[in-house]
Amino acid sequence: MTNILETNDLTVTFGGLNACDHVDLAVPTGKFVGLIGPNGAGKTTFIDAITGYVPTSDGNAVFDGNDIGELKPHERAQSGLVRTFQSLELFEDLTVRDNLLVAAYPTRWYTFIADMFHLSRQDKEIEERVNWALNIMGLNDVSDSMPTDLSHGRRKLVGVARALAAKPKLILLDEPAAGLDTAESQTLGGHLREFLNHDMSVFLIDHDMGLVLSVCDFIYVLDFGKIIASGTPTEIRESAAVKAAYLGEEAGEIQVQEGERMRSQQHESGEDND
Amino acid sequence: MSAFLVALIAGIGAGALYAMLGSGIVVAFRGSGVINFGHGAVAGYTAYSFDELRESGSLYLPWFDPIPEFGFLQTLRINNLPVRIDIFDNVTLAEKPNLAITFIICLLMSAFLGLLMHFLVFRPLRNSPTLGKVIGSIGVFLYLSSMCAVHFGGQNRYDEGFTGFNSTSGAVKNFLGLGGTIPRSNFWLFGAAIVMCVAVWALYRYSRFGIATRAADENEKGAALLGYSPQFLAGANWVLASVTAGVAGILFLHKTQPAQIALFVVGGLGAALFGNLTSIPGATMGGLIIGMIASGGVELTTNSWWPEIIPGDGVRNFMPLLIIILVLYFRGDKLPIRGSISIGRQPRAPTSTNVIIGAIAALGIGLLLSNIFVSKWEAVLTTTIIAIVFMYSLTVLIGFLGQISLVQWTISGLAAYVMIRLMADGTKIRETDFVTNTGWGWPTVLAFIAAIAVAVIFGLLVGLPALRIRGVQLAVVTIAAVIAVESLLLRNPPLMGDGSVSVNPTPSPNWFGQYVGGFNPNTARTDYWKFSLFIIIIAGLIGVGVANLRRGQIGRRFLAIRANERAAAAAGINVANMKLLGFGISSGIAAIAGCMLAYKLPGLQTDQFEIFGGLALLAFAYLGGITTVWGAIVGGCLIAGGLLPEFLGVHFESVDTGLINAVGAIGLVVNAKVTNGEGVALLQTDLAKNTLAALRREPDETEEAEENSNNDTEEVTA
Ligand SMILES: Nc1ncnc2c1ncn2[C@@H]1O[C@H](COP(=O)(O)OP(=O)(O)OP(=O)(O)O)[C@@H](O)[C@H]1O
Ligand SMILES: [Mg+2]
Repeated sequence: MTNILETNDLTVTFGGLNACDHVDLAVPTGKFVGLIGPNGAGKTTFIDAITGYVPTSDGNAVFDGNDIGELKPHERAQSGLVRTFQSLELFEDLTVRDNLLVAAYPTRWYTFIADMFHLSRQDKEIEERVNWALNIMGLNDVSDSMPTDLSHGRRKLVGVARALAAKPKLILLDEPAAGLDTAESQTLGGHLREFLNHDMSVFLIDHDMGLVLSVCDFIYVLDFGKIIASGTPTEIRESAAVKAAYLGEEAGEIQVQEGERMRSQQHESGEDND
Repeated sequence: MSAFLVALIAGIGAGALYAMLGSGIVVAFRGSGVINFGHGAVAGYTAYSFDELRESGSLYLPWFDPIPEFGFLQTLRINNLPVRIDIFDNVTLAEKPNLAITFIICLLMSAFLGLLMHFLVFRPLRNSPTLGKVIGSIGVFLYLSSMCAVHFGGQNRYDEGFTGFNSTSGAVKNFLGLGGTIPRSNFWLFGAAIVMCVAVWALYRYSRFGIATRAADENEKGAALLGYSPQFLAGANWVLASVTAGVAGILFLHKTQPAQIALFVVGGLGAALFGNLTSIPGATMGGLIIGMIASGGVELTTNSWWPEIIPGDGVRNFMPLLIIILVLYFRGDKLPIRGSISIGRQPRAPTSTNVIIGAIAALGIGLLLSNIFVSKWEAVLTTTIIAIVFMYSLTVLIGFLGQISLVQWTISGLAAYVMIRLMADGTKIRETDFVTNTGWGWPTVLAFIAAIAVAVIFGLLVGLPALRIRGVQLAVVTIAAVIAVESLLLRNPPLMGDGSVSVNPTPSPNWFGQYVGGFNPNTARTDYWKFSLFIIIIAGLIGVGVANLRRGQIGRRFLAIRANERAAAAAGINVANMKLLGFGISSGIAAIAGCMLAYKLPGLQTDQFEIFGGLALLAFAYLGGITTVWGAIVGGCLIAGGLLPEFLGVHFESVDTGLINAVGAIGLVVNAKVTNGEGVALLQTDLAKNTLAALRREPDETEEAEENSNNDTEEVTA
């Protein structure tokens, strides 16, 4: 089996602190891989590093068979390595649909000539893809709204939909479920594995252990920039190292329970909102 | 060699002005976090006030009478706002008012200007996005410069001012045994700059106020602990900054004309950046260095081996730009201004619906007007349309892409001059021409296209720094570029022909056998109907093009970049390429506007493309609405010489250009605060929408309103 993404000894240093410390990680093609770890473990930094947003000080990343170390962020995105952001980073002056279209259409610089004469054709396949992404994230009814008019949770879903619209080979999701209400996180959770049916692999970071354990094929655990454990969800559930990382015995259990409790709490508050 | 050294040392004179302005810019920045482009204009206004007070005994207040005293308004007899205070009586040439008293009054005036800036501009804009603050400070620049023109007429001033700082102090011969002469006043000015530097530095270092300002720099609570509110500190620093500007302006009265001092802000900006925007000694040093290398550079151009194509004045004005680029390149990321973080909401940039209907309506109105109008009014119409075309270039670059470039109007000028040079063939074109230009005698269309190509290439060059720097920093670079390009490329006889330093006569434009110049050979006025037709069509095409650009893929990408460059890259957008594309398109459109202006007038002057013209156009583009095509059309109608002021002028006789620009500057600031820079156009659209919505609620109107909204949505999806 081939790996769509592979990192070897990937290291990112921030003034003496190794935010990622010789990380070896692989995402097999067509699989769903999770990355968990406490706050400040270096998860976001890992995504930043492989998408070209922070420089690496050591190691390399191979995507789809090519070393991507020299590529610029937009080139990596164009080659199919597409990320979402932990914070909301939407295009606030564009409608939800336009947010997706920006990512979906490839553009050459001379496109502007066709644009000025309003001649650019709609590409059927791309439009379908955009509609699918809107649909799967439950954004159909707001596709012509501005992101600022949406709830925080739905804005995060726009971020995921935008990444989906870019036709990724590997989608990197940075805490997509954080800040979502129950309805929204069910939309997301229920559809996550569907992504795999659309020629993509998925890499998920989330604090919601319940979610991660239920959707992933394979999970890595990061702490202080180092991979401290990896395995199938069952193995991770049992892993002593993971429990230690989450402070003390049975902490893993607690985290799982907490994840579930939080979901039910959100459920209530979500209903309040409605 | 020794001549070069002497020139280098003599440069401390101009350097002292840069140093003093730079220090003031630093003071204002530390107090409020704003880079004040209008700092030089404060110096200029104070210098004019000083001279006026000495010459006539009157002090002019920095505003104008909003109720003119002519036309039917005369009969209303409303009490006017006072604009002039007669302080000294019986002023004669022999008996001028006391220097010291005049000086103090004028410094009070500049302190007052500081307070006004704080309370009327920068305090209200403190929570605006970066763009809004830059616009506010451009508003100050334009407003004060315009007020100088309104009150003082922009003429040269010759008051001798303080002994030592004027030419009566003679010259130092053979300084340090290097030979040559250096005006003694240069040393006095140098001394003044050092004294100012030490005084301000000591004030910051040892006074409670200074310590509180430094504490506020780090965090606002620090200042509060010392018992100062941040807003008080900001106001006090504005006053201090303005007073230093006033001192600089008055001391330099004898070296530079007050009208020019506003432009020296560019050197001041270079100096302030050299001091990292925080250090007074650093800014002083930076100013002196810029002055010295500029003076030394100019000395080099007097050598026989120096290529004639690089004029001395160009070298002088290039130095601030050079220093600014170097500082931003090597230390840009350490500067306290973070261009990349845009706080606050950007002005909305909705897609134009009904592009075709709008275009047909606009074309129809344009053609109708051009048929109704004759003589003067036809000229007013074409002035308006040229301004609209130019504003389209700002819509693309600033409105869609969010890149504040102040150099676009200069690019228009560059294109016009290149076109004239290419078309000229050394023959006299009109009886009235003073000069005949030599050139290559290219056919009209070819020269037009080549001029656009040159402008686009130049625009791409300007865009290069924009790949690294953003926001305010880009505005600083481009304002410096305006001054440099004007003297380096436009006022350059070997490059642009002999006309470039006086009136540059435009050869008759001939498109496919039709004369389309605006200069009517029969009446010797600029009201030729074929020209009107020609530019109405061109403006229509470009307007539709820009509206289409916004609703196409590139427009979406531009807006994505404006909103968030990080996320844009994650969406696979090549941000660098798209920015260059934006600069290219914008410069191309600006070039067309410049060439059209050349067609319109029998001759061009570089003054037409100088900084005030460009800033005024920017101001009105903002006022109209920088983010939409409709906004550009509204903005074009507002400019001095455009349709609206001229229509009003029918009632109010002639309205001063300076006054109109001052009103524009006020509008700019108000607009930045009230509509977040979205301008009149969007305000109108919103109003129309709300009215429609209100109408829809009334049952009998329902059908019509729904029909309208259906049309809208159809247009969007189509
Ligand atoms: N640009 C930066 N400069 C310096 N240090 C940084 C930078 N970005 C992150 N760090 C540090 O690197 C470490 C890892 O941060 P990172 O954001 O990757 O954690 P994370 O695992 O994503 O945490 P969270 O779960 O809170 O999102 C943290 O200690 C953080 O303070
Ligand atoms: Mg994170």
